[in-house]
Amino acid sequence: MKKSAYTMFAALVVVCAGCQNTVDTLENEQKEMKVNYIRSKNISTDGYLRDRLIIDSMNKATLPGGIMQAQVTIRSNRVGFFTELWSDITDEDPYKIAYRFNWLDLDGMEIQTANSVWTELDLIPGETRRLQSVAPNPRCKDFMLSIKEFDYK
Amino acid sequence: MKKQHIILASTAVATAIFLTACGSGPSRFNAQSNRGITTTDDINFKDWQITAEKTVNSMLKSGALRRPDGRKNIVMISTVKNSTSQHVNTQILTNKIRQAILRSGLALTTTAVSARGAEDKASKQVRQLEGDEMFNQDTVQKQGTAIAPDMSLAGEIVQEKTRQGRTKQSYFFFHLTLTDLKTGLAVWEDNVEIAKQSKKALIGW
Repeated sequence: MKKSAYTMFAALVVVCAGCQNTVDTLENEQKEMKVNYIRSKNISTDGYLRDRLIIDSMNKATLPGGIMQAQVTIRSNRVGFFTELWSDITDEDPYKIAYRFNWLDLDGMEIQTANSVWTELDLIPGETRRLQSVAPNPRCKDFMLSIKEFDYK
Repeated sequence: MKKQHIILASTAVATAIFLTACGSGPSRFNAQSNRGITTTDDINFKDWQITAEKTVNSMLKSGALRRPDGRKNIVMISTVKNSTSQHVNTQILTNKIRQAILRSGLALTTTAVSARGAEDKASKQVRQLEGDEMFNQDTVQKQGTAIAPDMSLAGEIVQEKTRQGRTKQSYFFFHLTLTDLKTGLAVWEDNVEIAKQSKKALIGW
């Protein structure tokens, strides 16, 4: 009786884990692009988010007219048997986050823009996404990206 | 029998207290947060924000607002056609975009002309003061000084509804264009897609 219960539980675990799809990626190894990477200063207050989301890189470009564009590459790290099982049980597949860009002018003053709102984003385990924002005017050269797990608040 | 009445009354009071406790009074919340009611059939305020964010980023990135001669383009707001089944005020979107255009410093917006007439009627009204003895005529704005727009912002919002069993879905397609009024050519176009889905409970509402 006990043995069959264990077998059933194991089967359930395997079935649940099998329910989750992850993303495989393929890209050219020798890159042609010349990326202007930015060194980042990261303040992490959410341990769960830190484990689940990898910040791969930050880069910038200057657009015609002197406006700056920022891009942050993030990757969902919710892969692996137990992680996938847990996110499947907790119904967190896809992983929902929210992000917000804040732009600062040369005097360090924050400029309120259409970007200054929390925007939702769904991430499939293993998926890489690039969050982009364009500065509201040419005087804005610095930015801050805030990321949090989506919670309707 | 009396005991039963007491139990019944106590239960009714307890239920009433419980139900009262379930509600909540009105409260303010940050409109930039993720809070707010999300409905499948309507465009909610978060949808406007997401659309504005994406279109403003796209427009500024495109460089379409810039002129090679250094002068700033003047942008007028034309019509954003509402092809949804709901009554929506598209000004929420166009006002956000026009603010972003102005803040960018790349172009200027006009309030003297729009598809629905002047946004600000004052530009026309002050010119009617010409010849009015009450006003110093040197300070009255002259005819022929207002600047006509170079570009026009227009668009359309389309909604497609689908229902299958207990699941219903809405797909909103926001399409915006920036037209060079001299040539009639679109110098920038983009769209934002928002899809929403909800599933009705098996029992209840």
